[in-house]
Amino acid sequence: MDDIIQEQVEQLVDYIMKWCLWQFNSRAWDREDQNEGILMKTMQILCDEPVERETPSDKCYWVEAVILARDFKDNYPWLSKMEKNEIKILMKGLKEQIDYLTITGSLNKELTNPVY
Amino acid sequence: MPYHTFKCSECIPERKKHAVVKGEDEDLTSCLPLGYLKTIPGTISERGCAFCGAKHVIGTPMKDVIHLCHGPVGCTYDTWQTKRYISDNDNFQFKYTFASDMKEKHIVFGAENLLKQNIIEAFKAFPEIKRMTIYQTCASALIGDDIDAVAKEVMDTMPDVDIFVCNSPGFAGPSQSGGHHLINIAWINQKVGTFEPKITSDYVINYVGEYNIQGDQEVMVDYFKRMGIQVLSTFTGNGSYDELRGMHLAQLNVLECARSAEYICNELRKRYGTPRLDIDGFGFKPLSESLLKVGLFFGLEKEAQAIIDEETARWKPELDWYARRLKGVKVCLWPGGSKLWHWAHVIHEEMGVDVVSLYTKFGHQGDMEKGIARCEAGALAIDDPNELEGIEAMKKLKPDVIFTGVRPGEVAKKLRVQYINAHAYHNGPYKGFEGWVRFARDIYNAVYSPIHQLSGLDISKNEIDTDKGFMTRQMISDVKIDKEAAIVSGERQYTGDYDCVSKLRDKKYPKIEKQSLSIE
Repeated sequence: MDDIIQEQVEQLVDYIMKWCLWQFNSRAWDREDQNEGILMKTMQILCDEPVERETPSDKCYWVEAVILARDFKDNYPWLSKMEKNEIKILMKGLKEQIDYLTITGSLNKELTNPVY
Repeated sequence: MPYHTFKCSECIPERKKHAVVKGEDEDLTSCLPLGYLKTIPGTISERGCAFCGAKHVIGTPMKDVIHLCHGPVGCTYDTWQTKRYISDNDNFQFKYTFASDMKEKHIVFGAENLLKQNIIEAFKAFPEIKRMTIYQTCASALIGDDIDAVAKEVMDTMPDVDIFVCNSPGFAGPSQSGGHHLINIAWINQKVGTFEPKITSDYVINYVGEYNIQGDQEVMVDYFKRMGIQVLSTFTGNGSYDELRGMHLAQLNVLECARSAEYICNELRKRYGTPRLDIDGFGFKPLSESLLKVGLFFGLEKEAQAIIDEETARWKPELDWYARRLKGVKVCLWPGGSKLWHWAHVIHEEMGVDVVSLYTKFGHQGDMEKGIARCEAGALAIDDPNELEGIEAMKKLKPDVIFTGVRPGEVAKKLRVQYINAHAYHNGPYKGFEGWVRFARDIYNAVYSPIHQLSGLDISKNEIDTDKGFMTRQMISDVKIDKEAAIVSGERQYTGDYDCVSKLRDKKYPKIEKQSLSIE
């Protein structure tokens, strides 16, 4: 990932950490599902791809993704100038960084508790 | 790790990992205090107990219920009316509190008979109330009274009543948070699925983790009803016992305070497949996006947007009036749990105040993750603080105002630091668009209070001008603002009613016909 994309990923990470709650469910497996479901659908919306929303949980992910995609477009004008393949690279980097901050690098000792 | 050691706690080395300073380059992989651990001997915690967390926070906001403590009378008295969880049925649950009033002889000989007498007596005293919750306390837990058996016995002889038993004695966890967990699980195990409330809309939600502090729930339910959504139950503020037995019938759980009520959302998701959507009811932007999210879920985005547009146009000029005068005000955000993350970013973004510290009495590390992620760099984050640490932090950080509970709030006053009641509010509700303006007004009134200014003068030492009148708030606050800019933009002080909640209770709402999802 080049420096520009890295900087753009950081901006999107900062936005999510400040304005969203979905990345902070209380268990690691739940965070994995949330991060994957919402960021995948956000990427699909940004790339004008069809989005699955048949199941209740998919619908929730889609709802979060619609709001996030709008906020990204409103706050980061450079996003609308990107090609779809660039957006996919960007969103892949974003997903990796959010997973790192909230799961793999997290200091939260409750994440691996087997019960809620 | 950027740990912060308080001088007053140098003699308690275990405290070291419970406070951090968020540096410019810190993130959650390097900056997070420990949390939800047993309070360390030697440190005087501000926490409550697990009984208090179950009864006072979650159980008793249910409105059509006799709430009875099985224990000494102090357990009931000291958890009564400390939060203003009002209701639309003349505040029944708020006006009365019940206890079996255990004494020494009951500890020796058992108190099950006493409890049974008390249950029957309470139902007879309030014959229109047919529902009861009973809370175990340390005393009744230690002697092993079987409250479930007593409740069943009464229900067998009085078939028109229903009783919920919560076994969460004070010692059942490191803080009140242990009680939140226990009552969540007890409710879904004992009561969810045992009653079917009437479904009146195509769009049905449970509103979870909302306690109707000074009317918060009623403000939010008004928005949902205007969108055509049925709020089947609220867990638990202004909530009805029987509606909460029907939580399994909702299509969506809308979760506000994840700290106290994520457990039941997670269990409803696991057992009934009902999804969980976390929202923020505080602040214009978070609230707007929350309403949009719920609207999108049901294909009601236009209805949500109409409410947002109307409410923003009505209240934003008033929020801006206060924000112009609150810019740069230093705040210690020291609530119990969830408000540390509900408020940490949005009071800075929308009111311009600077959060110099945040703490949580009973939050878990997950709450601190959210709070630290949202606050600005430089903030001191403290888990389970003691009073001396609070004093040391106030002397070091010199905040203008503290958002906290009554007890630490009184300590702050002694240091001539103003405080806003973060738990029960001063002049709430604080949720909703109008509520957010009321919060800004309370902060403004605290920071610029003329009495507060006068209290800093010592008439035995200071020269007191006798030829001048008292300063008003605005005379103090407006020294630093551009008044012309405020006039041009139409900003004004709060113009709402003293009581902005009661009028919602008689409102009529249109029925919204189902439509296909229209938004991509």
